[in-house]
Amino acid sequence: MNPIRTARPRLLAALTVATLALPLAACGAEADDDTTTETAAGYPVTVDNCGTEVTFTAPPERVVTIKSTSTELMLALGLADRIVGTAFADGPVPEPWAEEAADLEVISDQAPSHEVVLEHEPDLVFAGWESNLAADTAGERDTLAKLGVNSYVSPAACMEPEYQPEKMTFPVLFDQFREAGRILGVPDAAEELIAEQEAALAEVGKAADGTTALWWSSGEDTPFVGGTIGAPQMVLDAVGLDNVVTEDATWTSLGWEAILDADPDVLVLVDATWNSAEDKIESLESNPATRELSAVKAERYLVIPFPAGEAGVRSVSAAADLADQLDDLGLLQRQ
Amino acid sequence: MTAPTLTTARPRPAAGRVGTATLVVATPLLFAALAASVVVAVTIGPADLTAGEVWRAIGSHLGLATSDLTAIRDGIVWELRLPRVLTAAAVGAGLAVSGAVMQALTRNPLADPYLLGLSSGASLGAVLVLLTGLSVSLTGAAFTGAMIAMVGTLLLARSLGVITPSRTVLAGLAISSFFGALTSLVVFWNTQGDSYRQILNWLLGSLAGADWGTVQVACLTLLLVGLPVILFGRVLDAFAFGDTAAAALGVNVSRTRWLLLGGTALLTGAMVSVSGSIGFVGLVLPNAVRLVVGSRHRLLLPYSALVGAIFMIWVDTGARTLFEPRELPVGIITVLVGAPVFVAVLLKNRERA
Amino acid sequence: MTLQVHAITADVGGSRILDEVTFAAPAGRVTALVGPNGAGKSTLLRVLAGTQKAQGEVHFGGVDLLALPRRERARTLALVEQDVRSEFALTVRQAVELGRTPHQSTWSWGAERDDTAVDAAMERAGAAEFAARQLGTLSGGERQRVQLARALAQEPRLLLLDEPTNHLDVRAQLHTLTLLRELAATGLTVVAALHDLNLAAEFCDHVVVLARGRIEACGETTATLSAELIGSTYGVAADVLTHPRSGRPLIAFSR
Repeated sequence: MNPIRTARPRLLAALTVATLALPLAACGAEADDDTTTETAAGYPVTVDNCGTEVTFTAPPERVVTIKSTSTELMLALGLADRIVGTAFADGPVPEPWAEEAADLEVISDQAPSHEVVLEHEPDLVFAGWESNLAADTAGERDTLAKLGVNSYVSPAACMEPEYQPEKMTFPVLFDQFREAGRILGVPDAAEELIAEQEAALAEVGKAADGTTALWWSSGEDTPFVGGTIGAPQMVLDAVGLDNVVTEDATWTSLGWEAILDADPDVLVLVDATWNSAEDKIESLESNPATRELSAVKAERYLVIPFPAGEAGVRSVSAAADLADQLDDLGLLQRQ
Repeated sequence: MTAPTLTTARPRPAAGRVGTATLVVATPLLFAALAASVVVAVTIGPADLTAGEVWRAIGSHLGLATSDLTAIRDGIVWELRLPRVLTAAAVGAGLAVSGAVMQALTRNPLADPYLLGLSSGASLGAVLVLLTGLSVSLTGAAFTGAMIAMVGTLLLARSLGVITPSRTVLAGLAISSFFGALTSLVVFWNTQGDSYRQILNWLLGSLAGADWGTVQVACLTLLLVGLPVILFGRVLDAFAFGDTAAAALGVNVSRTRWLLLGGTALLTGAMVSVSGSIGFVGLVLPNAVRLVVGSRHRLLLPYSALVGAIFMIWVDTGARTLFEPRELPVGIITVLVGAPVFVAVLLKNRERA
Repeated sequence: MTLQVHAITADVGGSRILDEVTFAAPAGRVTALVGPNGAGKSTLLRVLAGTQKAQGEVHFGGVDLLALPRRERARTLALVEQDVRSEFALTVRQAVELGRTPHQSTWSWGAERDDTAVDAAMERAGAAEFAARQLGTLSGGERQRVQLARALAQEPRLLLLDEPTNHLDVRAQLHTLTLLRELAATGLTVVAALHDLNLAAEFCDHVVVLARGRIEACGETTATLSAELIGSTYGVAADVLTHPRSGRPLIAFSR
């Protein structure tokens, strides 16, 4: 449910340039009254986020995060204390950060409403999907801006094609972490995180050459599968799996006939609460057509939890996890 | 009972706009076209299979030939394509007949089989199963929903007094809106991640889930309910001038109406539960057939069934191959094709309006 | 066969529309059913046709019409209603063919007998000349003839008509009533509700006067239609003269 967000007019661009031209002391006119930290170095920061210019004049101190990718990124950057509320989690927060996550206030299970978000007096709403920032959810971006609340969408989830990366890769993802570090005022933490993840990524094993895979997200009659330029492809590349889907899309829907025709070696099954991996396996095995798939006959299933399927700080560990599962199936290349 | 000597120049009886002779030729042709459609549509699809391989595969299941296809490719033909084409045919026939009957019962050419709230009830049932993961069969839940909505409509219509066509339509509108709102509520409340896509597919109508089970449901219903409706439907002609005229012609008006309504509801409910709410077929096809064949239901009903079946086979083939390897819900294509046809029908009838 | 109506009482929507209506309509004659609006003429015709429930008895040719099964009743009598239209496109011939419905079983196909009856009915009613035309293209008078043909296709022995001349021009009115007389002469019993007293007086030998659900009078036209009766039934001042050419009663109204 990601409605296309319209790009803002370039009025703010002019204002931003004007602001940058002034000496730092002159731009202390913040809408909210949080002045406990002095203006940090590196500010003001302006980014073009999915077509909207957003300017940060100070590190955000009161952040509302929507969707797991935002929450987990902030936790990974060590910013748990700046989160005043989280919403619309896609699943439980995984291990390194689970304990901290337990203390966070959950605003809503689904997309929160405008008022509920504002009630927490945030200075930044960090959203995982563009649709989280609409009139009937957290609020439109310019409305929030007028109230002095910045908004930021994970760049991986931009709707406009010009803001979507040509192909999602880990370097692109890490750059996004860098940008997040800049706007949050923790560039060093971001670099540390990136270094950690790069190291972990380098350790991830690769599947045997030519192993094909299908990334099946949901949909029983018409499967919704990972395409060639999104987060699924990024993870598949990391473990050396060849995607049987050839369409240039982040995700796409395919007919079973095409899947049967391709007969992937391995099936990556997304495990979601509304459509579990078990359900998928059951339907694969009970359908007289799909049970002839070689992956089904040999039970070559790789399971990945839904939140890990979107581009974010879990992507590397998701790749590592898939590599482990491939190892269990004996499909990993010997290093 | 000697017939009086008729004048030799008796005007040739016109059956609609086509003469009887044309019909005698057209009927077997249509049946042949239907058979041909099934046989050809089954060979079309994204997978790389020649027509010969497809027919041999089918033949091997019928014990008429041998096939050397792998199990998986054989599965494509026998478990995916063939059930899908057969289900499409049955659903197309069922929806077209239901539409024609509803139009006759409400005396309104703009009626469709979903008037009684059937599709919105089925949608609610399906959405509940899809989103809350109840372990009930999707088809069963959809059918139950459809029946509940229909009963609601009839009870509401009854509470307004004697059931008349306009009361039924109004009650159906009310119930459809209500169930539609409930469906939206469930969807809005529960949708997470990408689950909305599955729902969208169902709401738009899709034959992607067709298997031998759906073939059974659709074809059995067509045979056990649809066929009697088609045969019994000639009585509908007596309603051409209203209920009083029909009663004066010796028709048991209320019993006929109830039987036909019940039959149509069962037929539509079964089709919707198998394929989702495919739109426009029940509305447009009977009107298109009527333009050629005329309003007599003795002809309109069986012809609607045949044309509906052929139409659905090809539209579904389009849905699964036009954008291959992607698949579109067939309901999108029926509207894309149906809307212009509908406009043409309206324009054609403009003089009469 | 004479139509004997005995003590027909009908309640519709809580009000008594017909109260102990009793009269006889002779065979071979056109009987006019007259009365002010709301007298219950249409309801009475519907009771006779079997589409309206009522208490009482109706005898026709030795049978109780009200007790007859539907289809048999539809083969015995036919009802021609006021200007009915159809939503669906039918040709004239197809509309007339509907009259054969009570003679056909649900599952049978068309029979030779049906074609014959339809042809004869259309000839009789004067609809044969536009048999292939669409109903929607016909004039009021032509539609009337089609409805009449349909009724005749039922091969009834009792013909009931509800205000058959309402929407017709003068020529068509006279044509219709002349036709009814001819049909009566072939042995049919014809009962027609008419609002035009003069048409009733000119063409109908027998008249039944209904007011407020009750019979005011019934009998041979000339004897029954008196100025007093018309005055008391319709609440108007009228004079009954004699038509100079036909010798039939001529009712004149004045300011």
